[in-house]
Amino acid sequence: MESLLEFIRIDMGSPGLATLVSNPKFAFIQLLNSVSMGMNFFIIAAGLSLIFGVLKVINFAHGAFYMFGAYIAYSVTETMGLSFFWGVIGSAVGLVLLSVVIERSLFRFVYDKEHLMQLLLTFALVLILGDVAKIIWGTDQYSVSYPASLSGATNLGIAYYPSYRLLLCILGPVIFLALWLFIERTRWGRITKAATQNREMLAALGINVPIIYTGVFVAGSALAGIGGALASPFNSPTPGMDAIIIVECFVIVIIGGLGSLWGTFVGALIYGFVFNFGSVIVPNGQDIFAFLILLVVLLIRPWGLFGRPETEGQ
Amino acid sequence: MLRLIRTTGPIVTILAALSIAQAAEVKIGTLYPITGGGAIYGSPAMIGHRMAIDELNSQGGILGMQVVSVERDTKLNPATAAAAAKEMITKDGVNVIIGGLSSAVGLAISEVAKQEKVIYIATIPKTIQMTTNRRHDYVFRTASHTDFEGDAIAQIAKQLGAQKICDIQLDYAYGHDLADGIERGLKRHLPDAKKVLDLRPKLRATDYNVFITQIMGAGCDVVTSGLWGPHFVDFAKQASPFGLFQQIKYITGGEIGSQEIAGAMGEDYPDNVWANSYELWYHHSTQEHKNFQEALAKRLDTIETPMWPVLALIGVRMYGAAAEKAGSLDAASISDALKGMSIDTPVGPRTIDPETHQADTGQFWGPMVKKEGVPYRVMDPITYIPAKIIE
Repeated sequence: MESLLEFIRIDMGSPGLATLVSNPKFAFIQLLNSVSMGMNFFIIAAGLSLIFGVLKVINFAHGAFYMFGAYIAYSVTETMGLSFFWGVIGSAVGLVLLSVVIERSLFRFVYDKEHLMQLLLTFALVLILGDVAKIIWGTDQYSVSYPASLSGATNLGIAYYPSYRLLLCILGPVIFLALWLFIERTRWGRITKAATQNREMLAALGINVPIIYTGVFVAGSALAGIGGALASPFNSPTPGMDAIIIVECFVIVIIGGLGSLWGTFVGALIYGFVFNFGSVIVPNGQDIFAFLILLVVLLIRPWGLFGRPETEGQ
Repeated sequence: MLRLIRTTGPIVTILAALSIAQAAEVKIGTLYPITGGGAIYGSPAMIGHRMAIDELNSQGGILGMQVVSVERDTKLNPATAAAAAKEMITKDGVNVIIGGLSSAVGLAISEVAKQEKVIYIATIPKTIQMTTNRRHDYVFRTASHTDFEGDAIAQIAKQLGAQKICDIQLDYAYGHDLADGIERGLKRHLPDAKKVLDLRPKLRATDYNVFITQIMGAGCDVVTSGLWGPHFVDFAKQASPFGLFQQIKYITGGEIGSQEIAGAMGEDYPDNVWANSYELWYHHSTQEHKNFQEALAKRLDTIETPMWPVLALIGVRMYGAAAEKAGSLDAASISDALKGMSIDTPVGPRTIDPETHQADTGQFWGPMVKKEGVPYRVMDPITYIPAKIIE
């Protein structure tokens, strides 16, 4: 581990823009920080965007699903003693079960209702799920250990970097590609895409639209659960963690375009880059750049970089 | 006329009885976060608070009156806390407000106490402002404060021979005030040390990689910090793979030595951390602590008890003793009684300074080490650093 520090220590004093420009090693590490952060957020925000894209519901409870994913990963790994892999699987399965119940018993009744009604329902869910989590896991904070093989750092030649964060850099694009291939290259994907355009026409063609809706809601929620499980080794499962992540996810999907997979992917990367490089340039103004971009996007292109403007009839 | 008397008589009697019943109890307005992120500390604090209420009532209450606790959730939000404090005073008619968690919340409650002329005893908020430039007749603190904590950090930095220091604090009142407290402490104890980096992640930050890599690049030999609770857990978990704790010593306030953190992190707790705690369940500095810890353990059905209950307990005890001394529930009289008030607590005697309204609350400090057969880190050796700043 000694060599790790030597690799990273660059004796630069207080960093800043000049350090980023003059020190490629430092800039490279910030690049990896940006990508790993962006991919962590992408995995979570992709579900939020997917659900909005098809169901047209802005799901505030998405953060609560993320929190449940983190807590389930804790229970599976630390309480039951299974490996981290099973923790992630357990979170996905847990969220599939939870979201099926929620979609069938609550969400399906508000698809045709106005947005305010939908928002109120999802907000109520935030409060209910927060209390349910408190009943199950209490108010303590927990720590989920990194998988043993990924607890150290990997030598990338230029610098060492935490292996687990590198995994996120890989997993994000893999999940993106899998979702893209499903939507663009499979029959069910095309049907799902059609559901975003005109659900009535799809029903008229004999497609079971409610099943599509349930499937999309479950898939989106499972992504939140997987995101929570993947984040749990470096974001301790605690009460209230849902409230933090949901803001960041909304910033990402609004920048990228609600309902757009590409938009969410690019939005997450933009968020990661402006947060990390912005924090070096303006150390105590970490959020300034991300929210400035959000503001500009809302003013110039309110439907987001990759979104589509809502037209009448949609 | 007779009919009027017949009709109104019972109503007047009931109202009078209700008024006597109301007067026969002391209402303590209790403010802790019991939902959301702050519940980690608010919920155990509430347990200590209720223990103290039970204790008072079993001893005959305050001035012979039963003590009741009117409890509200601050959600760790200053605006929510201020609104709740106002409501408890104006609607519920509480005699005192006790609690608060986070410096921003403490300052917000203190402003309401000042306006409404109701005593507020801050049991957890540490910002120095509360007992300096924003002190008033009705605010008192039984917690430590950021200057005591900063001075203790500087003393440890001196022991460790720190030369280049990186400081990382949360970007709100507590973090800023602790940074100032450390700065002043360093001038007293280690004037030759150089601070090479100041970082301020936001409250409830989740990703610290950008700060960790800046610390590692800055060439410091000691990190001073006040990242508390989940902030520390996340920071440590993210910094460990970078090897930060292998090479750089980490001195931290924010009660990172408490059982809540050590127990939760278990094997993940990093090396080279010097931390503090108000109370340690395994360190019986007094017989009363042993009794308190056993009672708490019984109440929680656990051996390893959390640290936060004792803080809430001390606040209630302090108020009870002051009211008895004042011989009334009048806020001005109790304010006078609190000045110079001394009580015994499970962690030793506490006296409130009549000038600053600040209790002489020191803390236990020490390195967090592994012990054979113990699945979490413990503080060893334990040093009590008293609440005393020698210029």
